Amino acid sequence: MKGRYAAAAQPRRLATGSLLAVALFSMVLPAGAGKADRAEFDRLHAEAEQARKKADSIGGQWRDTAKFLKQAKAAADAGELDKAMKLARRAKDEGELGYRQASSQKGNVQIPSYLK
Amino acid sequence: MTGKILAGVLGAACFALAPAMLHADPQSDLEVYQRFFKEKYPDIPFTQFADGAYALNEQMRENWEAIEEFPPYGPFVDSGERLWAAPFANGKGYADCFPDGPAMQHKFPRWDKEQGQVVTLSLALNQCRETHGEKPMKYKGSPLVDLLSYIAYQSRGKKINVVVPKDDPRAMAAYQKGKDFYFTRRGQLNFSCAHCHFKNSGMSLRTDILSTAVGQTTGWPVYRSKWGTAGTLHRRYTGCNKQVRAKPFKRESEQYRNLEYFHTHMSNGLALNGPAARK
Ligand code: HEC
Repeated sequence: MKGRYAAAAQPRRLATGSLLAVALFSMVLPAGAGKADRAEFDRLHAEAEQARKKADSIGGQWRDTAKFLKQAKAAADAGELDKAMKLARRAKDEGELGYRQASSQKGNVQIPSYLK
Repeated sequence: MTGKILAGVLGAACFALAPAMLHADPQSDLEVYQRFFKEKYPDIPFTQFADGAYALNEQMRENWEAIEEFPPYGPFVDSGERLWAAPFANGKGYADCFPDGPAMQHKFPRWDKEQGQVVTLSLALNQCRETHGEKPMKYKGSPLVDLLSYIAYQSRGKKINVVVPKDDPRAMAAYQKGKDFYFTRRGQLNFSCAHCHFKNSGMSLRTDILSTAVGQTTGWPVYRSKWGTAGTLHRRYTGCNKQVRAKPFKRESEQYRNLEYFHTHMSNGLALNGPAARK
């Protein structure tokens, strides 16, 4: 009865995804060192917005990218430029990752071997 | 830097992978998918997969059966019955578009050769309205969900039988698109639907038990305690996309209709049992 759905090795697979997500998160964040100015932010924000759109054009946008862009803008408007830069950089990374993910899947979708 | 991260994420492939089949064969897909679950759960009668996660856990099943005794979707069915019978401004009604009556959920989703697209039940209801000069319903909440609930209730026991006609290559292309969508990795977690609902079905994810892909389309609309209301299959698709931190698609978008076409096809032979209650 129990063995029906309790295969010990499997939850880790789900956890792996989350861990990678966390790793990604923390690698992106610390990149905001140094003093930023508004012009620099505006440039980065525009690049990030472009990256987001590019990902979206092939169905690869991630869930929170647009939210980060909004939050970045709000932070910049409130004068919190370091925070704004971090958020915009994260959005840009997500846009690029989402685009690469979706283009790597296009025409190359893998069917798991156990479903052959 | 980002390249490395992505390589890492993609490299952490959860399963042994093999190249996609070039040409989908819906019939053999169906056999493979259903056999997979029959072999994974030899003690579960096939018809029980239509109960979603409750097929897989005795305790949850008992709680669920208690809830189903006083079904939370009852009011939606009642309201839907009134909506079905209410005439449009031109005096016509749904029965003029669907002369065989509301027990028709098993006819959807279907390939419409004239329109060259997958027509879902929701889309068909709105097309009926527009034919008769009525505004289409929003693909969220009432009145659509009420009507769907009534139709589902009337359709209980009918068997799912999605057809991919061989005489129209566009139908096969739509099926293939749905299949590609299903197996495409998405979002920050880089999961496809199959990661959670095939191999990991039966596993716990937070407080949930992951249901089997086969059987997931029988019970819609679903009253979810988490939503505090009844919702559509496409609302669930939205939720599952967001769960892997991917941006969801629009309800009734071409992507979700093709997905529904593929996803419902794999449950061919199971009886409809909607509306259903879920936690
Ligand atoms: C991260 C894991 C995960 C992924 C990936 C995932 N889902 Fe889900 N899904 C869940 C969980 C958790 C539930 C709620 C428990 C259950 O019924 O399986 C659920 C429920 C569902 C249900 C409702 C089943 C029912 O009986 O009420 C459907 C339908 C569904 N998912 C379809 C999909 C589709 C289609 C995809 C791909 C777009 C997908 N899921 C991707 C985790 C996932």
